[in-house]
Amino acid sequence: MVIHVTDADFNEKVLNSDKAVLVDFWAEWCGPCRMIAPVVEEVAENLKDNLVVAKLNVDENPMTASLYGISSIPTLVLFKDGKPLGKIVGFRPAAQIESAIKGALGL
Amino acid sequence: MFDVAIIGKGPAGISAAVNAFARNKSVVIFGGDSKKVLLSPSIPNYPGLPEISGKDLMERLNEHLKLTNATIINKTVIAVYAMGNYFSIQAENDFYEAKSVILATGVDFKKSIENEDTFLGNGVSYCATCDAPLYKGKVVAVVGYNHESVEEANFLAEVCQRVYFIPMFKGNFKLKENVEIINDSPIKFEGSLKAEKLILKNNAIEADGFFVLKDSLPLTSLVPGLEVDGPHVLVDKRMETNIKGLFAAGDITGKPYQVAKAIGEGQIAALNAAEYLDQKK
Repeated sequence: MVIHVTDADFNEKVLNSDKAVLVDFWAEWCGPCRMIAPVVEEVAENLKDNLVVAKLNVDENPMTASLYGISSIPTLVLFKDGKPLGKIVGFRPAAQIESAIKGALGL
Repeated sequence: MFDVAIIGKGPAGISAAVNAFARNKSVVIFGGDSKKVLLSPSIPNYPGLPEISGKDLMERLNEHLKLTNATIINKTVIAVYAMGNYFSIQAENDFYEAKSVILATGVDFKKSIENEDTFLGNGVSYCATCDAPLYKGKVVAVVGYNHESVEEANFLAEVCQRVYFIPMFKGNFKLKENVEIINDSPIKFEGSLKAEKLILKNNAIEADGFFVLKDSLPLTSLVPGLEVDGPHVLVDKRMETNIKGLFAAGDITGKPYQVAKAIGEGQIAALNAAEYLDQKK
């Protein structure tokens, strides 16, 4: 499942989520972000039993982006039980994102 | 969508193009002539063409390339994205699509600044147009290795409060008012979670972000997710990398850095790319 989150609902939808959440920090003007979007959707579909994918626009939601030290996009951060478990900066093929998530979640 | 995209127009890339064409594949080839070949006064060990000069060999290779159907694009490739079933290739500001890719970019010996790779994505960026909006109203430093970096420094100056420009080449620079030129040599990046300071030989600069702008990017940022060993790509006997459908040939795969080896590997890569495409159908 892919959802959209903002500074306002980040706590509720990401930090308090029952499932692990992969947050995709992106912006309209970022070319690699457009490239990674379908890849992240594929990962969301493949891991739908264990994972929610949340997209956060860094231009519209600067507080969350700055809180987690996002200085280059796209950046993917995996959250579980309110804590960041790890991050991937820049584009990656689906298989590599998937295996990093599986490793981090022990799937 | 092209069948085969070849990144690099030296002996390995052109050999790959000739062979992919022979297998009836559509080909796009990116880049300019190999500077390394052009600058060789003579190549003594290429069988059949004793003592041919690098310039003559490059001419012959280009003539041969013209006999194929290859689309030639003289642009720098910024990134190759593995999308799953195909590849998306960003050449400057344009995107191209191909079912398979052969990397034949040659090998780059330019040393990185210490900690450049550690902080990449954490305060260090290779692309001003990509990441500039993240530094709106902030202070950035640009280490510029090429002439385009002057334009990029000016572009950053429109968005940022202040830009330090450290040119790694000589010239007269027309820069905006809020750009300060610093003539010094970068040594290393320092910081805790992100790069905060660039140590120079005689000075140090603190900034919110650092841009390192050069012609050839480290392989791992050219192809995100690629397995490498130092300056080389890891390939199997079929010249295939860890990413399916992505092959490599020539100096980029390792020593010896020789024309004959590059041409042989270009052929192997192209034939295996053709086989990969035929199996996909």
